[in-house]
Amino acid sequence: MTNLLAALASGIAVFALGTFALGRVLGPQPAAVLSYLVALLVYLGVLGGWKALVSWTRGEEPAEEHGWRRYFNFDVDHKVVGVQYIAATLLVFLVGGLMALIMRLELARHGLQYLTHVEYNTVMTLHGISMTVVALIAIVGGIGNFVVPLQVGARDMAFPRMNALSFWLLPPAVLLLLATPFAGGLDFGWTAYAPLSTRGTALGKLFFLLAFLSVGFSSIFGGVNFLATVLTMRAKGMGWTRVPIFTWSVIAASIISLMGTSVVASSLVMVVFDRILHTTFFDPALGGSALLYQHLFWYYSHPAVYIMILPAFGAILEVIPVFARKPLFAYPIAAVSLLAITALSFIVWAHHMFTSGMWGVLKIPFMVNTELISVPTGVVFLAVLGTLWRSKMRLDAPMVWALAMVLNFLVGGLTGIPLADAPTDLHLHDTWFVVAHFHFTIMGGAVFGFMTAFHHWYPKITGRKLDDALAKIQCALMFVGFNAVFIPLFWLGTHGMRRRVADFPEWMDPVQTFASSATLIVAASVVVFLYNIIRSLKTGEVAGDNPWEAKTLEWKAPSPPPHGNFKTPPAVTEEPYGYGVRA
Amino acid sequence: MKNKSVIPFVAVAAALITWAYHAVFGRWPMMPAAASAEAAFVDSAWNGLFAIETAIYGLVVGFILYCLVAFRAKSRDEQGDASDRSRGRLVEAGWILASTILTLALAAFGAKELRAVVGGTHADHDVEVRASQFSWEIYYPKYNQYGSKLFLEEGKRHRIILTSKDVVHSFWVPEFRLKQDAVPGKVIHLMLTPTVKGEYTLLCSELCGADHTTMTSLVEVLDHEAFEEQMKAEF
Repeated sequence: MTNLLAALASGIAVFALGTFALGRVLGPQPAAVLSYLVALLVYLGVLGGWKALVSWTRGEEPAEEHGWRRYFNFDVDHKVVGVQYIAATLLVFLVGGLMALIMRLELARHGLQYLTHVEYNTVMTLHGISMTVVALIAIVGGIGNFVVPLQVGARDMAFPRMNALSFWLLPPAVLLLLATPFAGGLDFGWTAYAPLSTRGTALGKLFFLLAFLSVGFSSIFGGVNFLATVLTMRAKGMGWTRVPIFTWSVIAASIISLMGTSVVASSLVMVVFDRILHTTFFDPALGGSALLYQHLFWYYSHPAVYIMILPAFGAILEVIPVFARKPLFAYPIAAVSLLAITALSFIVWAHHMFTSGMWGVLKIPFMVNTELISVPTGVVFLAVLGTLWRSKMRLDAPMVWALAMVLNFLVGGLTGIPLADAPTDLHLHDTWFVVAHFHFTIMGGAVFGFMTAFHHWYPKITGRKLDDALAKIQCALMFVGFNAVFIPLFWLGTHGMRRRVADFPEWMDPVQTFASSATLIVAASVVVFLYNIIRSLKTGEVAGDNPWEAKTLEWKAPSPPPHGNFKTPPAVTEEPYGYGVRA
Repeated sequence: MKNKSVIPFVAVAAALITWAYHAVFGRWPMMPAAASAEAAFVDSAWNGLFAIETAIYGLVVGFILYCLVAFRAKSRDEQGDASDRSRGRLVEAGWILASTILTLALAAFGAKELRAVVGGTHADHDVEVRASQFSWEIYYPKYNQYGSKLFLEEGKRHRIILTSKDVVHSFWVPEFRLKQDAVPGKVIHLMLTPTVKGEYTLLCSELCGADHTTMTSLVEVLDHEAFEEQMKAEF
C-alpha cells in the first residue's frame, strides 16, 4: 500500500515538475509528453517494476507476496492481476456511471441548467472513454486473467511480469483522464476526430491522448500474453476441440487487441505529433487529411467493439450449458464463428463513415461486409437457443443474467442493421439512435455479459457465493431500468436528437425526463450489487470447489485457487460440455 | 408441455410481440414527417428493415419464453437431452444458409435504395453551404446572395455544395433524411429535392467543438414565385 502511494506520488511529482520546468523551454505540450514518459518509468520503478525486471534478467522466479497487500503491489500472480482488474473495472464503472448521472441530470429538461456546453462535452467525453475502458478490460482483463489460465490448466500466464505491467499502466491513464476537466476540458468526444483534436493548446486534450495511448499499450500486452498462454500452456489432452468457448472468445479478442490496437496507437501518436511537433498529418489547412484520421481510428475502433462483446458472448455461452445441463449446441461452429467475427471485424470500419464524404462506391462493400457479421453472430444465437432446447434449466443468478444479456443483445444487434444499411444510416448516423444501439450492445451486451461472468466465477475467485435473491433483484432492476432509459432514445434519435449536444427542443421534455428518471433504477441496481459483494465477502455461503457442478478445468482447482493453481497438473480426458452424456 | 406445442406457442408469441411493436410505433411513428423526395427511399428502406426485425425479435423471444416454460429442471439431479446436439447438423446448416441469404438480400435491397437516394448529378439549383465553428453560411451563386438561412425551392433538385472552414461538421435536416459531413479540404456534393413547403431546422450533427449544440440554422422551402422573390430581396 505504501509502495503504491509512493509510486503514485513520485510519478505525479515528476510529471507536474517536469511539465512546469521544461514547459518554459519547450512549451507546455512537448514538456507534458516528455514528463509523462519519464514519470511513467519512475512510477513503475517505485512500484516494483524494476525489481521484477532485475529478477527476470537473473532468471529468478518472480517474488512471492501474501495477504491483502499484494493487491496493491506489482504482483505477478494471474489471479491477483485478475482481481486487480475487476476492482479497477468497478471503480472506473462507478466514475463513468457518475458522469452518466450528471449528463442525465442536465438532459432532464431542455435548456442548460447545471453545466456549460464545454462542461457537458467534458463530462460526456469522460463518460465515453471511461466506459470504453470498462468494456475493454472488464471481461478480458478481469475475468479473463483469472479464469483463462485455470480453464486451460496452466500454472499462470505465459508472461507474468508483462501481465502485471498491463494492469499497472491503467491507473496513470485514469488519473490523467480525471485531470482533464482541470486542464481546459475536452470538446471532442472519445473518438477525438481530427482536426478538432489537433487544434488548440489546452493540455486537457493532450492528457486524453496520453491516457488513451496508455490503455492501448496495456491492451496490446494483454493480447500477446493471452495468445502465448493459450497457444503454449494448455493442459495435456486439451486439443483445439476441447478448448472451452470462453477461452476461444478471449483468443478472438486478443487477436484484435494485437492487430488493431497498434493501428489506433500509431494514429494517436500522429495526433500527438501534430500537436507537439507541428507535423500536419490530419489538418487540411496545413496540407493534411481529415478523413485519414477517421480511417485509421475506425480500422481499430470498430474491431475494438468486438474486444468488448466477444468475451461477453464467450461468457454467456460458457454459462448457459452449465445451467441448462446440456452440451453447448453447435460448439465447433460457435468457436469458428467467434474467429469469423474477428476476421470480418477488420473489413467493416467504414460503416462509421457513410456520411463522411469518402468515395461513394465504397459504401456498398462496407455495407455488405457489415451485414455479413450478422451471420456468425446469428450462430452465437443459434448456440444459445439450441442449448436451451430440451434442456433442464436451473435458473440460478448467472443463468438469469445470461438470458437478460441475450435479450438485450438481440435488440442491440437488430438495431445495428439499419445503421449498417447505408440509406437508413444517412438519417440515423450521429443521432441518439446510434447512442441507444451501442448502449444495447455495450451495456446490454458487454456489461450484462460481465455480470454473468462475475456471478458465475465469483465463488471460484472468493470461495464464497453471492446471494442469489439479491443478484436476481439487481438483474431485474438493471434490466428494467436500462431498457426504460434507452428504448426512448431510439425514438428521440430519429426525431432529430443529435449526439453530443447538451440542449434540445422543448417538445422532447417529457421523453427526456422519463429517461432521466429511469436512470435512478439503474443506479439502484448498482447499489444492490455493491451491497451484495460486501455482504457475501463476510457472510456469504461457502462455495466449495464446484458449486455449479461444471465440467471445465477451473472448477477442479480449490476455491480460491492457491498459487500455482493445481496441486498436480490436470489432464483433459473429455470435452468441456459433456453434461448429461453417459461416460 | 410437449415439444410439439413449440410451433403454435412461438407463432402466437411472435405475432403478439410484433403486433405490439407495430401498434406502439403506429401511434408514435418512428420517423418524423418526410419532406423530400430522398426521404421516401430512406423510409421505404427503414420500413422493410423494421418489419423483418420485429418479426425476428418476436420469434427469438417467443422461443426463449417457450424454453423457460417447458424446460425447467424440477430437481437439481436432472440433466438435459444431450443427444440433441448430435442431431443438430441440419439445423446448423439451415440456419447459416438462411441467415446468409437474408443478409445478402437485405444488403442488395439497401444498395438499390442507396442508388435511388443518391440519384443522378442533374440539378436545378446550386447552393453553397459553408460550415464553420459554429455557424452556417449559405451562398446562392446564381443570384449572388449570402445569408445564414437556407432557402430551397419546392420540387426542384438542389446541389448542396458543402465545405468547411475549420473542422468536420455535418449537414442534417431530419425531415429530409439526409446527412452529409462538411470536411475541411474537401468539396462535397449532396443532392436534395425538398417536396413539402414549410420551415425546418438545419442541425450540425458532427461534434465540432465547445458550442456544437448551438450550431443550427433555419431552412425554408418555398414555392417557385416565393423563392424567386426571396432571391431578389435584400437578405
